[in-house]
Amino acid sequence: MATPGFGGKILLVNLSTKEIRALDSEKYEMYGGGHGTATALFWEFCVAPGDWDLQDAFNPKNMVALMTGAMAGTATPAASRTSVSGLSPQCYPVQWFCHSNFGGAFATMMKFAGWDGVAVIGKAESPVYINIVDDKVTLEDAKALWGLDSWKTQEEIWKRTGVRFGEEWWHLDGGYSVQRPQIVTTGPAGTNMTRVASLIHGGGSGAGQGGFGGVFGSKNLKAVAVIGTGSIKIADPKGLKNAREWWDKTWPRAGGGFGGFGPASVSSCCAGCGIPRMCHNRDRTYSMDSDDCAESTWYSLVDHQTPTEINQKGTDICQQLSLNAMETCFMGPMSFPTDHNKDFPIQPKIPAYTALGWYMKKMYDMGIIGPGTKYDTSPLPMDAFKSEQFMEIYGIALANRIGIGDLLAEGTARFAEKLGRTDDFNTLCRLTMWGYQDHWSMPGVEWAYGNLLDSRDINNHDMSVGRKRGITCEQFVNILAERTLGKDPFWFDYTWEGDRAYKTGIYSESTAKWVAWHQHYWNYYKESVGFCDWGYSQLYNQAHAQGYGHTPEIEPKYLNAVTGRNHTFQDGLEIGRRAWNLKRAIFVLQGRHRKMENFTGYYYRPGASYCGYASELPIYDGTKWDWQNCRELYFTREGVDTFKTLFYKEEGWNPDSGYPTRKTLEDLNMKYAADHLQAKDKLG
Amino acid sequence: MAGDKKPETEKAEKRFSRRAFVVGSGTALAGGALTAVSGTTAMAAQGTKKNAIDYPLSTKYLVYDSKHCAGCLSCMMACSMVHEGATSLSLARIQVHRAVLNQYPQDIVQNICRQCPEPLCVDNCPTGACHVSAENGNVRLIDQEKCIGCQTCMRSCPYSPHRPIWNPVTKKATKCDLCVDTPYYNKKGGPDGTQACVEICPANALAVVDKLPDQADNRGYDRNLQPPPKKAPPFGAFPKGKPKAKTEAPKAPAN
Ligand code: SF4
Ligand code: SF4
Repeated sequence: MATPGFGGKILLVNLSTKEIRALDSEKYEMYGGGHGTATALFWEFCVAPGDWDLQDAFNPKNMVALMTGAMAGTATPAASRTSVSGLSPQCYPVQWFCHSNFGGAFATMMKFAGWDGVAVIGKAESPVYINIVDDKVTLEDAKALWGLDSWKTQEEIWKRTGVRFGEEWWHLDGGYSVQRPQIVTTGPAGTNMTRVASLIHGGGSGAGQGGFGGVFGSKNLKAVAVIGTGSIKIADPKGLKNAREWWDKTWPRAGGGFGGFGPASVSSCCAGCGIPRMCHNRDRTYSMDSDDCAESTWYSLVDHQTPTEINQKGTDICQQLSLNAMETCFMGPMSFPTDHNKDFPIQPKIPAYTALGWYMKKMYDMGIIGPGTKYDTSPLPMDAFKSEQFMEIYGIALANRIGIGDLLAEGTARFAEKLGRTDDFNTLCRLTMWGYQDHWSMPGVEWAYGNLLDSRDINNHDMSVGRKRGITCEQFVNILAERTLGKDPFWFDYTWEGDRAYKTGIYSESTAKWVAWHQHYWNYYKESVGFCDWGYSQLYNQAHAQGYGHTPEIEPKYLNAVTGRNHTFQDGLEIGRRAWNLKRAIFVLQGRHRKMENFTGYYYRPGASYCGYASELPIYDGTKWDWQNCRELYFTREGVDTFKTLFYKEEGWNPDSGYPTRKTLEDLNMKYAADHLQAKDKLG
Repeated sequence: MAGDKKPETEKAEKRFSRRAFVVGSGTALAGGALTAVSGTTAMAAQGTKKNAIDYPLSTKYLVYDSKHCAGCLSCMMACSMVHEGATSLSLARIQVHRAVLNQYPQDIVQNICRQCPEPLCVDNCPTGACHVSAENGNVRLIDQEKCIGCQTCMRSCPYSPHRPIWNPVTKKATKCDLCVDTPYYNKKGGPDGTQACVEICPANALAVVDKLPDQADNRGYDRNLQPPPKKAPPFGAFPKGKPKAKTEAPKAPAN
């Protein structure tokens, strides 16, 4: 009997041997579901056998796991994302174990089919898709689908069923449905094994970062389709309703994040989403079922007002070809003038989001690629740069590795490397850690540390520490201290200069604890349980009488009502810590060492130009708290070194190497990981 | 509901014989046809005068707003949860279908039971399980104890997908009862109470009304339920009003 809220089994498909197995989910419950469970699966099936070097994401031995959490399919608001995990072809220079996630109804449908996720290893002889109809799983021929874009692929799979979805009941072996199968697939960018390919579900739910579309391609896997007619037991249905009502009543919401500006345009990305305005659109300027993130501005040029129709078409193209929008778009320097901008060789603007499209054009303008160089830019019509035609050809060339597209398909970091210009990471293209575009220019201190310690731009938007109206800075940091349960306001001291930066500021033990809290939080609550980044965590809510956000109360309330457990908020953090430590062990086996964890150079000099989501941050000057403009914030190498030592100690890792210790792993019930690290001489 | 009396139904049943009815396309179908017409284009069943049925009208009707539905399926999960104690898309008595790749507004269809004035599901049920419940505001509902699982109600409903749904585990039909029989609901459901789908809908795309909606086509049921638009705050803006911060000031930190 599965724990309420869970399907009870995980699907393991080996495409090389065509073996299809059901694993018992319960065995992995200590990892929390989602990304945590995927980490444990990766360990069991990819690390433990010890038969490869964990370096190449396109190796058939790599796993791509699509996992759900306890919340999917329970109508818990903003909580049904599908987590994607495996070695990432996008990460640079090492193809780290990485993760992404996407919304929509895929996770929900997996659960109704009785599965908590699907993990795929091996490589099919010829293109296939995995078809899940309740507990019946088959590998279907996908030769005819292989060249199709992500939308046509889905339409074709729907067509194969012969059902008029939504108009009649579909009689399946186990039950009935009016729904269509939920499909996640990849377009040509994935099947051509670019490093910038996303997985697309529906019109615009996508997992972009990590480049997992290319991993599908490397496995000859075109799609996973699922239809489920079953149900998910809720331990305490009334409690779940009560929790939701309490949430609705207690935490007033004012819009929030992305989403349609006006009711006609709203649509939800995730099944069960209850966030007003939500994040997708039905009839907006952009595109069908698209959200307002990078894909909706894929061809928005920095110095050019891209016409709406072109923008809309660009969004569609990016989704259909399955290009990772953040990586391949044309975002470039934005206008945040600071005193230090003059140090940069571009223009008096902060480079932010200098994505592949922009960087490629810059290289062309600088004469590094194009006529007279060894890098022919065909088939790109460079003289028609600001045109729809250019946009289309760029996308197609990239996704199909045509001409210069073959180089671009390697992603910005490897493209720059090929041009012999890795110094550009530091200046022109400003890549943050592991080959990822900076998310604006240094989006936040804890965000930056997160990037450093994880394997990608962590893309966590919940760290809202900027100036708040109607409340003193001191009151604000105290609320955060209370709501994290950390009880230490200095977690939120962003003092970055002088001795105080070490005492209570960004190099202090307090900051190390806050960064650790955050890693544990999102490893469990977001990446494993499936809570949406736009809704969780919420430590502060201006509209609440005391300024409280719904964290840390709502997460265990929902979870316990669904699962019938009696977990505390800290129990969840502990599960997150376990998954995070196991991931650390995988990183270490892949070559991660303290010496590698250094920011790209520009973070260490004036003009790193913190812009974050708010430039006015809490600062404690030794006697009082106040918000101060931190636009000029940058790190020092010495400071980051101090931080690393404190952070490693906080996590129970060896401060010299950054390797987890036996004690830490055993305390987390992962003796097996300690033994493995020891055998590889990598125990901390 | 078990023990519920259904005098009107039984009376009507005796007087009512299966009759042809006209659907949107003009096709005449027998009452037992499996599917009649798409939910979006359906015309209400129109009886001939001769066979006019005097079922009492339901006191409440679920109406919807397909242009503003967000397609989140929350209503379906809430419906199955309060009725069955488990969430399920297949057991939901409201069926929302999201065709994500269709253009707005063809991307979302909400299929709800209309609590028809002339409920063919009731009319054709051979056991009286599907009945007009006088004790529950004349809602058309299925007594699970009397249902023999013959699926006649499903076949009789003139809308497609048919609104009575099939529970493959109990092997009985159920249908929207406006939350009368909801053992897992934290509220009193039913026509005089609340409905889980209406309550949970984050987009204001469902409501319950007293007045019989126009039966001519879907427009009586599918209506704009949105409050007059407010000017949306700009991206990242905060709501007006100051919070009453009661948190105490922190103690002086150690140096
Ligand atoms: S189930 Fe069909 S026939 Fe019966 S009341 Fe509902 S819509 Fe009318
Ligand atoms: S809950 Fe509301 S918005 Fe969501 S699918 Fe149902 S009717 Fe549509």
